[in-house]
Amino acid sequence: MVNLKIDGQKIEVEEGTTILKAASELSIEIPTLCYHPALEPYQACRVCVVEMVQNGRSKLVASCGRVVEEGMVVKTDSERAKRARRLFVELLLARAPASELLQDLARKVGIEVSRFKTKKEDEKCILCGLCVRVCNDVMKIGAIGFANRGAKIEVTPPFKEFSKVCTTCGACAFVCPTGAIKLEEITENKVTPLLSEFDEGLEKRPCIYIPFPQAVPNKPVIDRENCMYFKTGNCKICETVCQPKAILYDQEDTIIEEDIGAIVVATGYDLMDISQIGEYGGGRFKDVIDALTFERYLAPAGPTSGKVIRPSDGKVPREVAFVSCAGSRDPEHGVAYCSRLCCMYLIKQAMLYKHAVHDGQAYIFYIDIRSNGKGYEEFVQRAKEEDNVIYIRGKVSKIAEDNGKLRLWGVDTLTGEQIELNADMVVTANAMLPSTGVKELASKLRIPTDSHGWLQEAHLKLRPMETLTNGIFIAGAAQSPKDITDSVAQASGAAAKVLALFSQDYILGNPVIAYVDEEICAGCGTCETICEYTAVEVDPLRNVAVVNEALCEGCGACAGACPSGAMQHKNFTKKQLFDMVEIATEKY
Amino acid sequence: MKEFRTHLMVCGGTGCVSNNAFKIKEALEREIKKLDLEDEVLVVMTGCNGFCAQGPIMVVQPDGVFYQMLTEKDIPHLVEEHLLKGRPVKKLMYTPSEKKKPIPKMSDIGFFSKQRLIALRNRGLVDPEKIDEYIAREGYKALAKALTLMSPEEIIKEIKDSGLRGRGGAGFPTGRKWELARNAPGEQKYIVCNADEGDPGAFMDRSVIEADPHSVLEGMIIGARAIGTFHGFIYIRNEYPLALERLIKAIEQAREYGLLGEKIFGSDFDFDITVHRGAGAFVCGEETALMACIEGRVGRPRPRPPYPAEKGLWGKPTNINNVETWANIPLIILRGSKWFSEIGTQTSKGTKVFSLVGKINNTGLLEVPMGITLREIIYDIGGGIPGGKRFKAVQTGGPSGGCIPAELIDLHVDYEELTKVGSMMGSGGMVVMDETTCMVDVAKYFITFCMDESCGQCTPCREGIERMLDILTEICEGKGKEGDIELLEELAYAIVDGSLCGLGGTASNPVLTTIRYFRDEYEAHIKEKRCPAHVCKALIQYFIDEEKCNGCGLCLKQCPVDAVIGELKEPHSIDQAKCSKCGICYESCKFEAVRVE
Repeated sequence: MVNLKIDGQKIEVEEGTTILKAASELSIEIPTLCYHPALEPYQACRVCVVEMVQNGRSKLVASCGRVVEEGMVVKTDSERAKRARRLFVELLLARAPASELLQDLARKVGIEVSRFKTKKEDEKCILCGLCVRVCNDVMKIGAIGFANRGAKIEVTPPFKEFSKVCTTCGACAFVCPTGAIKLEEITENKVTPLLSEFDEGLEKRPCIYIPFPQAVPNKPVIDRENCMYFKTGNCKICETVCQPKAILYDQEDTIIEEDIGAIVVATGYDLMDISQIGEYGGGRFKDVIDALTFERYLAPAGPTSGKVIRPSDGKVPREVAFVSCAGSRDPEHGVAYCSRLCCMYLIKQAMLYKHAVHDGQAYIFYIDIRSNGKGYEEFVQRAKEEDNVIYIRGKVSKIAEDNGKLRLWGVDTLTGEQIELNADMVVTANAMLPSTGVKELASKLRIPTDSHGWLQEAHLKLRPMETLTNGIFIAGAAQSPKDITDSVAQASGAAAKVLALFSQDYILGNPVIAYVDEEICAGCGTCETICEYTAVEVDPLRNVAVVNEALCEGCGACAGACPSGAMQHKNFTKKQLFDMVEIATEKY
Repeated sequence: MKEFRTHLMVCGGTGCVSNNAFKIKEALEREIKKLDLEDEVLVVMTGCNGFCAQGPIMVVQPDGVFYQMLTEKDIPHLVEEHLLKGRPVKKLMYTPSEKKKPIPKMSDIGFFSKQRLIALRNRGLVDPEKIDEYIAREGYKALAKALTLMSPEEIIKEIKDSGLRGRGGAGFPTGRKWELARNAPGEQKYIVCNADEGDPGAFMDRSVIEADPHSVLEGMIIGARAIGTFHGFIYIRNEYPLALERLIKAIEQAREYGLLGEKIFGSDFDFDITVHRGAGAFVCGEETALMACIEGRVGRPRPRPPYPAEKGLWGKPTNINNVETWANIPLIILRGSKWFSEIGTQTSKGTKVFSLVGKINNTGLLEVPMGITLREIIYDIGGGIPGGKRFKAVQTGGPSGGCIPAELIDLHVDYEELTKVGSMMGSGGMVVMDETTCMVDVAKYFITFCMDESCGQCTPCREGIERMLDILTEICEGKGKEGDIELLEELAYAIVDGSLCGLGGTASNPVLTTIRYFRDEYEAHIKEKRCPAHVCKALIQYFIDEEKCNGCGLCLKQCPVDAVIGELKEPHSIDQAKCSKCGICYESCKFEAVRVE
């Protein structure tokens, strides 16, 4: 351990610590520009200079790279250090006047305007070398470097030619503190940024990211497919900057096996992709977006901070048309069913749009307004009266782009007239579809789905949260399109069913289940193959079929299939059935 | 070895070679053959003699007669007169400008008489391409002594006691440096000879290598023994082809003689040297940048600590010394530290090689004891200022040094004294300036050099120097403002204080010293828009004095832009709108009728 004094405060740090790190432990802030924890200290911007007194001699050193020594006295805000720092910031400001980072730093150290000649008004690069160093030292690619020397030095691909070796990993742009690096200017390789799934592709996301703000657990994940470390073995920047050392690249997905008593299936839903709706542009028109994307524009914490803009040109849309039943209630082109919640969320979005763009106009095209929940109808009225949302009864037949605007055609079924409407932006309420992968899940769980692919309930009216398989329940949009209210209600019901199951020490099974007459059973296994509920197994030692009474649903399939008649249904044996038939037909 | 009655020592330094020294040598040999003197007279191509201004040079030994400015035409006459008839040729001898009589003997010429040669002990006396000649002059004797009679610790003690300090510029005690490297932990260590001499007007290292490459090699082998390494590097700039060629030849010869390679002198000590050619960047003379180059990386300095003695080449302890430092070592070992430490001043021992250039009569290379005054160097050795002009200042230490004004001409030259007046020893360049030199222009020149040569890594050096140049250029163009001097000073101090390496740390010296000693010149530029030395073109105008002009028409004929107008035999005048201020009229006028204002 090394003892030193920083700005009069004593501190003990490990050997090899830099002054910058030691100061940060004391919460003393020293500005830096060319420093990055993932890279070796470069000590070139000299903005982090501090005055160091050692053996009675004082000198300026770059705190980012200078290692502490016993008895060292450091002054981070001495007049000498401050004067030098201020001048260096002023010199850099003259070099890169367009850099906001530098402008802020300049204001912080008390500079309004640089006294020196500026070289290029729109220059942002401060030549801190972070991009070059990350590309060469960390990513080990070498797609960019410094050309020339002295005042003529610049960051460029070798020989100022587009570089093929560039992997477009984007590390250079990522570490650039001033935003001077544009990936497109470095490489001719196609730059494909990773887009945030949560933000519907409106914003980029890094390879290590928290999927969405309310994610559980709220921890970052690594996108292994795109992570440079998994692709090339280099980078590991996240590991070097993570102070609690929480990054583990060798972590593998683990399969957890648990014995459980009940399952609640809650898969959620998917939206029909706009590309499937050809009459609305099929995804060709940038300003025709689905409601989920529009939701991201409206979100105060979203990519535009709640500002509503057109994706095509970033302008604020003055007229927005909301189109319901895009794919729903349309057995010819889409799905036959009603997606149930679009009516209400379109109203909400139309109102939020009006709150964001006061002089804007919202139109809603609808077939019927289905506002049959508590307070729903009042909500519709409020939209019409307070926010002046114009409702047009009729389905939009076609959307076309016309001179930067969108033109909608349809029929007003109230007046019977054909209408044409121009809008800056169209928001479609796409049909809700069963979640991808539901089919596989259903077959794994041995529960049935309906003709659309939604999970089938045991009984539409009497057992809406149960399935035909005992112990498996469904909730929310796994069953059918459902809004939050209904989903919560159904989920609570399913939970209550599970609790009822768990409140007893024993499961009261259906008495009418299969049993095996072991004397007769030949262990052929026909019953094992035919059982849908995996309730029958052939005991390999005794070579007879064994019925798991907890799983058996008493369907009788095994009894019917058994060639020897060893498999029987309790209370429905052949003899009992024939006796019953006999008694019933006695009179005849 | 065959004996000859006379040796003709023809200077083969770069200066003389570029003035056809090789042709002179051929002509001499041709003539000697013609006169059948082949068995009596030997022509030897030596290293740089030092008196470069008078090249091509030849010294006739053992008489010690010095001939200068030879041309091929002179040779038949010279050979016949001197070698056949025994009559030295007076018109080819050196004649000082103030005297009429030629000085026949080299040792009587002022330029040589005040010098004391240690690093350059063999210059002009041996053929640098022949190891035998070096050995004949006690060459490799010191190595034998060091390897057979001394322990590494004793060698280091000897060097420490001698008080030898680094001749590369910073003046770090060489013995202590060696000790640090020796004591640094690790098996693998390296030594490096820094021959990347890049200062404008400096050619000390080049001349040492050209004149006596073996002295450097011997110094390095002794150093390697003392530090405990078996590999050394010589980093030499590729712009020195002759030095490079002689160095490589010398290494080959040394290997052949068993002085490099395995089991040197039959001892258990192995050592070899690799020559690394630099690709022309001033900053690569900085030791950390130099090491980066040897390692194959871009030549950019890195911050110290860690110092090379702890972490140098490939992270191993490394000792770097300058050419001249290495060349001093053999003599110290041979004659002892006491002998060496008696030369020089209290803090600076031994001698120093300087290259004397600029507005001086005797341009050349000289080696003088530390503590000699500037006056002795400039007037006694340098022969004063040409054209009877007034001495104004001398720039020492290259672009990172400072300008020392005429008032300080009695300054004793050593590390401390030079630093005290704001300059530095540097590698030993001395640029002399006379009254026609504008000090702002000088500062601008050196700052331009530093700007071009800065590696561009750290902010103060890259940005600061360029901004200083902006301000200096404006001052020279007559656009200087109040406060410019103060801003220059502020910049200069911050650059010194905050730069990453020595280049930035000293780049401001020319600005700071010129402001310190010639502030009035800066003020004249800024306030009166006047250049006192009549150098800055934007601030001067040429006029023709009608009374003095007799209309000879010489200036009119020579003016490249037809700015001079007037009838023959009538007083001329200058069209200021056309005048490009080249100064040709001023120089051509025989009647001093052209004035500058």
